[in-house]
Order: sequence, then structure tokens, then C-alpha cells
Amino acid sequence: MNAITMDNADTHSGVSNAKLGVWLFLASEVMLFATLFTSYVVLRMGSATWPWGWDALNVPLGTLNTAILITSSVTIVMAYAKAYDKDKSGFQRWMAATLALSLVFLVVKGFEYAHEFRLGIGPSTSVFYAVYFTMTGLHGIHILGGILVNSGLLYMSTVDEHWNNPLFLGRVEGAGLYWHFVDIVWIFLFPALYLL
Amino acid sequence: MSKKNKDAHASHGAHDAHRPNVKLFVAVFGALMVLTGVTVLVSKFHLPRPQAITLGLIIALVKAGLVAAIFMHLWGENKLIHRMLCVVGFFAAMIIIPIIDFTLLSSRMIDHAPVAAQHPDEGAGREESVTATATLAPPTPAAAPKAAAPKGKK
Repeated sequence: MNAITMDNADTHSGVSNAKLGVWLFLASEVMLFATLFTSYVVLRMGSATWPWGWDALNVPLGTLNTAILITSSVTIVMAYAKAYDKDKSGFQRWMAATLALSLVFLVVKGFEYAHEFRLGIGPSTSVFYAVYFTMTGLHGIHILGGILVNSGLLYMSTVDEHWNNPLFLGRVEGAGLYWHFVDIVWIFLFPALYLL
Repeated sequence: MSKKNKDAHASHGAHDAHRPNVKLFVAVFGALMVLTGVTVLVSKFHLPRPQAITLGLIIALVKAGLVAAIFMHLWGENKLIHRMLCVVGFFAAMIIIPIIDFTLLSSRMIDHAPVAAQHPDEGAGREESVTATATLAPPTPAAAPKAAAPKGKK
């Protein structure tokens, strides 16, 4: 594999195939979450009552998770900046921080779910909780997917063959794009479920 | 980063959007945190829902815009990606707008449904439909006593 392979001039679009592929994948994800948000709007408008998030959910924990996810978006973009500069240890530090924050997000979400289950609250409790568990659950699965990909990249950075591969930076960029998308989904989920 | 690729970036000059700008990332991080704090604080005031939803949506759109433009490098990205996102936005709107419009239409029909109860000769079937729709939305205050009136006559 040589450097010429990843040169954008070799594609007909001016965008590397990997980046175009990730964006196409994200386009399908936009449609997936668009249908879910549409369902949320339809169910909410059709319901006689809809609880304030402050009454039904743990807003401080939700806010904490928002801060965690925003911070992880910064750490992964810093990891990309370090990979761009070919700073291996810097990349590994920031990517490890991203992974740690992702895991903390899941742990906090786990505490929230556990508390709700202890109170006997589940998806069948009400339309609100059905929407809440469906949307946050699907988002949580996306976080898990991101953790798998980012762990893979962290491992690959320890192997010189992968680290020196000219395609590596594109892989980091693709993983970053996906992670930022997951962050954006939460940016809409948080007010929709917790605050409004 | 291969030398060739670095040269490709350099050829774009000072406005190379792919060159990571750490200071900008930190500034956006600060803005996102502040906006998160604002949206949480505002929600504590229990504004009327239309205003609260509008404000919450605007803040979320600004936050998402910052992440997309700066962290996802959409600012200055290749036009092909922009065009693709326009197509995605069009199809997402095709899903969202008609369904929301349908929901608004349904709400109007539910609001009007109790009017049918003003005509008791039209049978009990209408009352059943009113009862069924009442689980979806509360009847208007004016319509509720009218709906009860036919039962009182019997």
C-alpha cells in the first residue's frame, strides 16, 4: 500500500472513498433517527399527557452525560489532530481518553436505567417511557459500536504496520465523524426527553 | 501522513479546512458547554411549552451546527458531501413534514369531534367515537357539557 492510494485525486469525486463511505453510512443513520424523532413528535402530540423531563427522569445525570459526550467529541478530534501530526503517544492518550469517557457515559446511563427498573419503570409503563427507552437504547448501542471501532484504532496504533499505513488517518477521521454524529443525536435527544 | 498528502494539504494554503485547529476545537468545546448549561437552566423556569420547545430546539440546532461545522469539518468540506447532505435533508423532511402535518390534522379532527355530539339524533356511534378520541386528547372545555347533554335527557 503506498501513499498514492489515498490521494483524493485518484477518486473521481475529490473525496476519499473511505470518507464518502462513512458519510453515506451517516446519511442512512440520519434517516433512521429522523423516523424515530418523527415517531416521538407524533406520539407526543397524540398523547393527552406528557411528563416534564424534570419530573420523570434524572436531569442532573442526563446533563452530566451530555457534558461527557461533548468532551469525548473534543478528545477524539484531538486524537485526530495528533494522528495528523504523526504523534503516536499523543494519539493514544486522546483516544484512550475518548474510550474512558464513552465507558463513563454508559455507566451513568446504566445507573439511570437501574434506578428506573428498581422503581418498576420500563418501556411498557407509558408512551413517554417507551419512547425514552427506545431512543436512548438505540443511542446506547451506537455508543457501544463507537467503543468497538475506537478500541480497534487504539490497538492498531500500537502496531507499526497499521500506524504507518497512509490509510490510518482516514480511518481515524471516519471514526471521528461517526462519533460526532452520535454526539449530535444526543444533543437532540437530551432536550427532547429530559428538558422539554 | 505521507509527504505527498501533506503537500496536497499545503497547496490549499492557510484556509485548509482539514488542518486541525486545536484552539478552535477548545473554543467550540467551551461554547457547547455554555449552551448546555443555558438549555438546562432555561428548562428549570418552566416556560410555556411552545416557547420552551422553540428555545430548546434552537439551542440544540446551534450546538449540532457547531459540532457538524467544526468537529466534522463540514465547514469548507468538499461540495459533494454538501450536496449529499442536501439530498438527505430533503428525504428526511419528506418523512417528517407530512407525518407532523398528519398529526396536526388529526388533532384538529379530534378537537372538532365533540361537535358531532350536538346532534343526538345521529346515534350512539358518534358518542363512541368521541369517547375513543378522548383518550388521545382532552376534550375542549366548551364541548364537554354538550357531549354529556344527550345522556341527561334520557
